[in-house]
Amino acid sequence: MKSVSLLLLTLVLFSGLLEAKTAVKVTEIQSPNSPLVTFRIILRAGSINDWKGKEGINALTAFMIAQGGTKDLKYQEVVAKLYPWAAGINVSPEKEITTFIGQCHRDHLDKFYQLLSDLLLHPRFDPDDFTRNKDLLVSYLQKNLRGTDDENLGKEAFSIAMFRVHPYGTAGGSVQGITSVTLDDIREYYAKTYTTGNIWIGIAGGYPSSLVDKMRKDFSALPDGKFIPVELPSVAMPEGMEVDIVEKPARATAISLGHPLSVTRKDKDFYALMIANSYFGEHRTFNGVLMNKLRGDRGLNYGDYSYIERFQGGTAGSRFPDVNTPLRQQYFSIWLRPVQPENAHFAIRAAMFELNKFVEKGLTEEQFQQTKKFVVNYSKLWAQTLDRRLGYKMDSEFYGMSGDYIERIERELNTLTVGDVNRAVKKHISPTNLKVAVVANDAKSLMDKMLSNAPSSITYQAPVSPEIAEDDKVITSFPLGLNKAKARVVPVDQLFENESPGVTLERKDKNEKK
Amino acid sequence: MNKFFLGLAMVVLLLQSVFAGGPAAQKVFPYGIHQSTLDNGLKVITIPFDSPGIISYYTVVRSGSRNEVEPGLSGFAHFFEHMMFRGTEKYPKDKYNEMLKSIGADNNAFTTDDYTAYHTLASASALETIMEIEADRFMNLKYSVDDFKTEAGAILGEYNKNYSSPFMTIFEKIREAAYEKHTYKHTTMGLLKDIMDMPNQYEYSLKFFDRWYRPEHCALIVVGDINPENLNALARKYYGPWKRGTYTLDVQTDVPQTAEKFVELPWKAQTLPVLMIGYHGPAFSDSKPDMPAIDVLSQVVFSQTSELFAKLVVEDQAVEFVNGGQQDSRDPGMFLITTRVKDPKNIGKVREAIHAALEKAKTTPVSKEKLDEIKSFLRYSYAMGLDNADAIARSITHYVQLTGNSESVNNVYDMYDKVTAEDVMMVANKYFGANNRTEVLLTMEGGKQ
Repeated sequence: MKSVSLLLLTLVLFSGLLEAKTAVKVTEIQSPNSPLVTFRIILRAGSINDWKGKEGINALTAFMIAQGGTKDLKYQEVVAKLYPWAAGINVSPEKEITTFIGQCHRDHLDKFYQLLSDLLLHPRFDPDDFTRNKDLLVSYLQKNLRGTDDENLGKEAFSIAMFRVHPYGTAGGSVQGITSVTLDDIREYYAKTYTTGNIWIGIAGGYPSSLVDKMRKDFSALPDGKFIPVELPSVAMPEGMEVDIVEKPARATAISLGHPLSVTRKDKDFYALMIANSYFGEHRTFNGVLMNKLRGDRGLNYGDYSYIERFQGGTAGSRFPDVNTPLRQQYFSIWLRPVQPENAHFAIRAAMFELNKFVEKGLTEEQFQQTKKFVVNYSKLWAQTLDRRLGYKMDSEFYGMSGDYIERIERELNTLTVGDVNRAVKKHISPTNLKVAVVANDAKSLMDKMLSNAPSSITYQAPVSPEIAEDDKVITSFPLGLNKAKARVVPVDQLFENESPGVTLERKDKNEKK
Repeated sequence: MNKFFLGLAMVVLLLQSVFAGGPAAQKVFPYGIHQSTLDNGLKVITIPFDSPGIISYYTVVRSGSRNEVEPGLSGFAHFFEHMMFRGTEKYPKDKYNEMLKSIGADNNAFTTDDYTAYHTLASASALETIMEIEADRFMNLKYSVDDFKTEAGAILGEYNKNYSSPFMTIFEKIREAAYEKHTYKHTTMGLLKDIMDMPNQYEYSLKFFDRWYRPEHCALIVVGDINPENLNALARKYYGPWKRGTYTLDVQTDVPQTAEKFVELPWKAQTLPVLMIGYHGPAFSDSKPDMPAIDVLSQVVFSQTSELFAKLVVEDQAVEFVNGGQQDSRDPGMFLITTRVKDPKNIGKVREAIHAALEKAKTTPVSKEKLDEIKSFLRYSYAMGLDNADAIARSITHYVQLTGNSESVNNVYDMYDKVTAEDVMMVANKYFGANNRTEVLLTMEGGKQ
């Protein structure tokens, strides 16, 4: 009897274990006639999962997989296999998720999948690959961002300023954090993080259904583990204008400003703000107020835009944003591309002036109707390839949305009135409480001007219209509401060195290494 | 699933034909190309493509920085691209933008050494609207002196954003050093001193428009949900009245370089040393073996599967990356090699390794297996990129501006299939001599890296 009970108990426990194993999540768009197959394999962990003191471990582990070898093949052997197929494997480590992206022709699907899955399931973690990838990541922060890419430096400085005491507040890692990561750390991070619950497979194109079953089975060999989202603290609204000016040798001055936003794609108000934002600052079009007033009428710079969520990409080739860069906590931002240093103070004021007008007056019925029509049509251009459709679909699932995002845009926009849009603007967009990040050659001089609230002069190559000249009279002394206690100059060498320069991060991190 | 997405699934059917029967059996460009020419010389190219409801509309002008023959006016083709968005009497700037907004179009332009392309991605139902406003601005552009001067500020802004990167600066310097008379001496962006002077060049801008924005220098390329008959009829209606011009271009040619050149370039902000090595190469041709063989050579010596990459990037880890290749160009262009060195003390060693790899290519035939892999890579990488209307239109634009013939794309990929190991050695010997070389080394000012 005892043995029977034990047997039963064992069976119950065993079946319990089987049931407890977390299934690998799959999102697919099968298109049987497509000769291409695209994979987006998401790890539901990003820089927010970095260990304290090892900031960048998530990104470095991801690169060790995507730019490394397998148990059987060295990195160069992997590259050699991919080459004649013109197939690629890339990785995009983001704040909340990390996406491994692979694309191949159907002619090579079986071999390509074998390679991709081996990289993810049986990574080599070779010491030579570790040195190469680590050097690249450190160099990206130390040399690329600090010395050779002022636009992205400005955006990262803004992100750090916005999320100063928050897991989002790094540029994917820090120089000291990445430097301190060891290969054993990578192995441990991989073992703990690449689990059945954290891996999320996306596939689109002309693959056989049997491949999905095989992927589920293959990836179920990862350690079992449920997806547990990192708890995020709330992000405090800025108190007045809080400014970081990053000082570095620079021929022009890059400017970002904005504040946390409490809505995401899952919220109805997001779609009201989508119309408002398109009217105010649609990325790289002449539809936006900012673009027309600052570049078109005044020739201050190359472009001026605004956003209601994190916007990556869209500056080379395509003007549409990258997919798979979701955040649970979003932000509103204005991006002024570099202006001549002597016009920086004026440009910040001009953006503030337009923002204040936008929040106060909102859109007219005609502007609302025109912009709504534009966004409905324009959004249909965002997902022209299977790869982008897959990315959007996975993003929708990230936000807990059902159905297609692009279709939802049309549906939501058609339910909105101009009143809804203007109400949402007043509710969610602050014209006064803003984080500002600036990259400038003479940071102290600009800071002095801002602190003293001195009038900012502007000279033009050609006379501007009477309307613009009238606005300029207000703009030249437009009050910025600078919070002097939260205005600082940051030497570029301090940026990205630790998590956040001069600030001790207090984070509840469940993944903190013990 | 809406109509648009259904269409996407069908689109890719055509792509399959690229590889049916083996990589070399079919034309690399799998879609039908319908090319006609209006009486005034405008080429009209239609490529029906299964993207229901969507078209990509390109107007290419065979005028780039190559056409900037007068001193002090570098960057003008690109500046002019900006002015094309300043409107006409019938459709002033705001009205033009309003019309584009009403159809939800994605609309922009870009300029290169050889050409300027204006592109719109939009609903197929908006075809006639797009054609009306595009034809109008190409024939009737009108802007004030004040508009012109204001737009010059945006150009300076573009220069400012681009030149925080040392790669733009080093690219500018190597061309300045390598070319003597040819207009490839300056970049498409133009020299800063010329950009600063742009506000004073209103009269020249009118001349530039008059010279180049003429039907015989242009091609219209429409890809997507369109049929050739409809497009041709609309093109005759809207572009038919466009008059030919009279200007002929005289681009000065360079005599062959006779001595190696070297330029040192300081950089104020943080950077690792960047070494760029250039060799004068051939012009694009879809019938001569040189350019296809150069493209194959770039794969042999500089791809991620090359011996050089394995040594410098993977084994020695002396550089972050190394790449090399030549862009297609109407006149003889440059083969450029770029690398970023991790430790300044290794600059000499890296340079020698690059030179040695090119020397080896002169005498060591590439194996048949490697050659086949490269040809496979070239075909698959091209064809896999043709998965949407805009990418297809952009690709055909590239070949049409080079030769005037959209079939050049198929011709050049046929040429790739015929490249032999001897062809690769031939171009290695012909173009990669020390006397034909220019090098620029960018390092952090003050010696600190």
